[in-house]
Amino acid sequence: MPKTQTSFPSSLPQATSSSSTPASSVFNLEVLDSLTDSDIQRLLHAYSAFCSSTDSLLLLSGIPSASPSPSLEFADSVHVLCSHRLRSFVVDHFLRSLQDAFEGNCSSKFWRSFEAYRDFPPLEDRSPSIDEASLEQLLCEALDEISAKKQHQEQCLSVLVSALESCDDQVLEGKHDFDTESKLLFSKYQLMVHSVLLASLPRHFYDILHWYFKRRLEEISAMMDDDCSGKDSMDLDESAVFSLESGDMDIDGEQRGKSLDGRWVTNIGKVVRDLRSLGFLSMTEDAYASAIFMLLNAKVNELAGDDFRCSILGAIKRWIQAVPLQLLHSLHSYLGDTPSYDTTSNVKSPLSSKSFSCYPGDRPLSQGIIIWKLRLEYFAYEVVQDLRIDKLFEIIVDYPESSPAIEDLKQCLEYTGQHSKLVQSFISSLRYRLLTAGASTNDILHQYVSTIKALRTIDRTGIFLEEVGEPIREYLRGRKDTIKCIVTMLTDGASGSANGSVNAGDSLLEELNRDEEGQEKADLEDGFNSDDKQAWASAMCWEPDPAEADPLKGSRNQRKVDILGMIVGIIGSKDQLVNEYRVILAEKLLNKTDYDIDPDIRTLELLKIHFGEGIMQKCEIMLNDLIDSKRTNSNIRASMNKASQPSVALENAEISSDVVDATIISSNFWPPIQDEEFNVPEPVDRMLTEYASRYTEVKTPRKLLWKKTVGTVKLELQFNDREIQLTVTPMQAAIIMQFQDQKSWSSKDLATAIGVPVDVLDRRINFWISKGILAESVEPKSSERAYTILEAAADAGTSGVNNDSGEEFVAGDEEEDGTVASVEDQLRKEMTVYEKYITGMLRNFGRMTLERIHNTLKMFCIADPIYDKSPHQLQLFLSGLISEEKLELTGEVYSLRKQDG
Amino acid sequence: MGSVNDNNNRAAANQEGRYHQNTPAAVAVTAPSPKKPLPTAKTVDTQSVTKRLQSELMALMMGGDAGISAFPQEDNIFCWKGTIVGSKDTVFEGTEYKLSLSFSNDYPFKPPNVKFETGCFHPNVDVYGNICLDILQDKWSSAYDVKSILLSIQSLLGEPNTSSPLNTQAAQLWSNQEEYRKMVEKLYKAPDA
Repeated sequence: MPKTQTSFPSSLPQATSSSSTPASSVFNLEVLDSLTDSDIQRLLHAYSAFCSSTDSLLLLSGIPSASPSPSLEFADSVHVLCSHRLRSFVVDHFLRSLQDAFEGNCSSKFWRSFEAYRDFPPLEDRSPSIDEASLEQLLCEALDEISAKKQHQEQCLSVLVSALESCDDQVLEGKHDFDTESKLLFSKYQLMVHSVLLASLPRHFYDILHWYFKRRLEEISAMMDDDCSGKDSMDLDESAVFSLESGDMDIDGEQRGKSLDGRWVTNIGKVVRDLRSLGFLSMTEDAYASAIFMLLNAKVNELAGDDFRCSILGAIKRWIQAVPLQLLHSLHSYLGDTPSYDTTSNVKSPLSSKSFSCYPGDRPLSQGIIIWKLRLEYFAYEVVQDLRIDKLFEIIVDYPESSPAIEDLKQCLEYTGQHSKLVQSFISSLRYRLLTAGASTNDILHQYVSTIKALRTIDRTGIFLEEVGEPIREYLRGRKDTIKCIVTMLTDGASGSANGSVNAGDSLLEELNRDEEGQEKADLEDGFNSDDKQAWASAMCWEPDPAEADPLKGSRNQRKVDILGMIVGIIGSKDQLVNEYRVILAEKLLNKTDYDIDPDIRTLELLKIHFGEGIMQKCEIMLNDLIDSKRTNSNIRASMNKASQPSVALENAEISSDVVDATIISSNFWPPIQDEEFNVPEPVDRMLTEYASRYTEVKTPRKLLWKKTVGTVKLELQFNDREIQLTVTPMQAAIIMQFQDQKSWSSKDLATAIGVPVDVLDRRINFWISKGILAESVEPKSSERAYTILEAAADAGTSGVNNDSGEEFVAGDEEEDGTVASVEDQLRKEMTVYEKYITGMLRNFGRMTLERIHNTLKMFCIADPIYDKSPHQLQLFLSGLISEEKLELTGEVYSLRKQDG
Repeated sequence: MGSVNDNNNRAAANQEGRYHQNTPAAVAVTAPSPKKPLPTAKTVDTQSVTKRLQSELMALMMGGDAGISAFPQEDNIFCWKGTIVGSKDTVFEGTEYKLSLSFSNDYPFKPPNVKFETGCFHPNVDVYGNICLDILQDKWSSAYDVKSILLSIQSLLGEPNTSSPLNTQAAQLWSNQEEYRKMVEKLYKAPDA
């Protein structure tokens, strides 16, 4: 800081006093000429008088109580000097003396008092070691003292002013605009004070101020909290500080109502006013503003926490009203920045912008406060938004519970408009946390659905959703089981599976239902002549897309936020989805033991609404097959009973024929069913043949072809000491039936008896071994495996596997055992056809690029299966062939790998 | 899909021509809009030929006969390329020959035009690659297909008809199989594509 001389008109008191020619261009030389010796004498005398009286006047400033009394001598000397037009000289000298006095007496002392706190820690890490009470006291006292001194000096200045005024009256009547001059004088003085103080400002003073306001805010905050929480325990330490600082203020809890205690306000107001009068206006405001923001930040962080189940914005707003705004308001009204009437009533009323508009008279005050309020709220919104965006992933994980947090975020974003920040940060956390190999497809899908729902509340237009969803979709497309998971999610709820996996499935089924409702509603509206009306209505509520929208991605109309649609969007086409659904449905239907398909019909109907009738036709036929089967089955049974009644007793069949239930399928419409040939035990085979012949009778000319591996068999196994009921696959049943007559089989013989290869048998028979019903042993001679039935449960225990779960459906080695060819299998089969084509063309054309292969396949592979793959899929397939060493790739050209020789 | 359009256009052109012949009076009326051909019997014929060729292709691809292969050219199912490998234990062992097969709209009632693309030193093949084989001329039957044609040509390689040769030098040399083999090796240039 430069020294303060710049603020004074350059004065040369010594030079002018000794010589008769004041070095000022204001005076013209003729005036100098007219000076007589006696005049000079008079001047010199007056000057010395002026100097001494000034000094004595200022000396008194050590005693604040004594008001400076203008001595006659002072006034006279001023008169004399002024009459010789040395007015500016008088003023300069006086101010100069004031400055010296202020510098020597006040400012240095003021700063000295803070010397002890030189090492005051910077804002953030306030250590508790500081004696807060004494610092506060010190601050107040120092401010008091310096303000008193300043006041005294101002009085001195006013003595001078009055002296000047009186001489003006005498000498130069009406020539001076005295008011402006005295104002100028005072402002010069003010500037001088400010400059002197700033020039010697210690660095830690700002920190002290900041700390001071922070403490005050914390006090209010604590008061408000106390109000809320039943005025119980106030921090002891704090109350001590409080009482010390506020002197005789009583700390009765009852007295501190919603509004602040008057004396408390006075106290802080005085500090602020003193600071202001010393010229620390902006520094003070900085200090309390930053204190407020710091505290607000802390408050928001404290409130936000990791609990997403409640909204925090309301609490934050209330806090803003209660604490910082109230402080500001009291300060404003105390300092009298505005007309001060009925301000107290305003403090009590909640400071919403609405209540402000009710007091038009309060406009200036309101505006200041409103601006503060807006600043604070914006700040709060920003902090909350940042916090929530950081945690968005977690929030969405527990979405339905965390919807208050989502609402908060939505409100914040409305103010801050930082949607793109949200998108960026969310995508990166998705990539980091969700789209990894460790996450199960179901989890990803679940999160995706939650994301859709959550972002739908934040942004109805779905623009950000689109951006966020894309990486997830992209990732899911790379997963093999995506489609399967989706279909399971779609259908599981319907079948009422009581497993734990319901929640995800539920949400999708619920979506289906909701869609249906929406459809119905739309249908209802269609009843009225709605087309025009609707068009008009939708035209009326048209809104432009937000600025962030990518114009390339189509307008709002095409962008319906529809969860099912977005799920299907993952897969790319609904055909694939429906295909997978068909496979799963087939599996489910074939394993049914009753003909109860109501839930499936319901799901199918919902799917039909969503995807259209045509595409679901095959599935519908499948369900119809089941319904028909039920009818046909009962018909056949009836006819069998009738026919066999006389012969039943005669024949004494081990198993009566009505244990067979058939599911008769139109195999063209079902997914390919894997069929393994094996010998059905003879009595069962007879039954099946019988059934088939009855069917032919009922439904000539149709014939029944059994798919022997498909279906379920309910078995009851009777041992010496126990009975076991099981539901198993036909193959497993056939195996165990062989043990009915012969207790032990070698694996080779058993395989022949059942008519399957040995390795297949070994695989299937594991089921029984794991059940503890069969035991496996290796014959030492032929090193051939043999299986023996275990009659007693004790024996079974030795084989050590659970056998107590009475009825239980175990499909054994399920993965390989699926009765319906999975979509992947179908794909593999299709691809073998393509492989032949590809080898064929490469053989004849030598080398071909990917594009040409693709085009050629598209061109000629149009029978069954039609070629419908993307070049990308083809490329994958081709690289598979390359790794099988069938093809080779040089550059971009594929060719057949040359066989050796 | 370019070639399907081509076919349609060609068929349409044919149809147009016929139309002209039959009802010359109507020419003036229809001439301004020749670009919108109506499907006719002829088009159906083309389609049935296409269909037949496609199913033959399918059968050929799925059949997986070693030593013979053929595939339509990228844009035209009426033009195929074929490959024949010389049978084992013949003088042509270890050689591979490219052929071109072009089918007419009357296929399978007319035989396709089959030629060697790779030069083949053989009594019944001339220097231009033309083949003298009875089933490709007067003995043709609609029961033959691409596969049987290729197999016939393959066996022709090992059992030429030396009584009516196109290449007399080859026919004379045939009796000396060792010399013949040398000649084949000398003249054989492996097809590069």
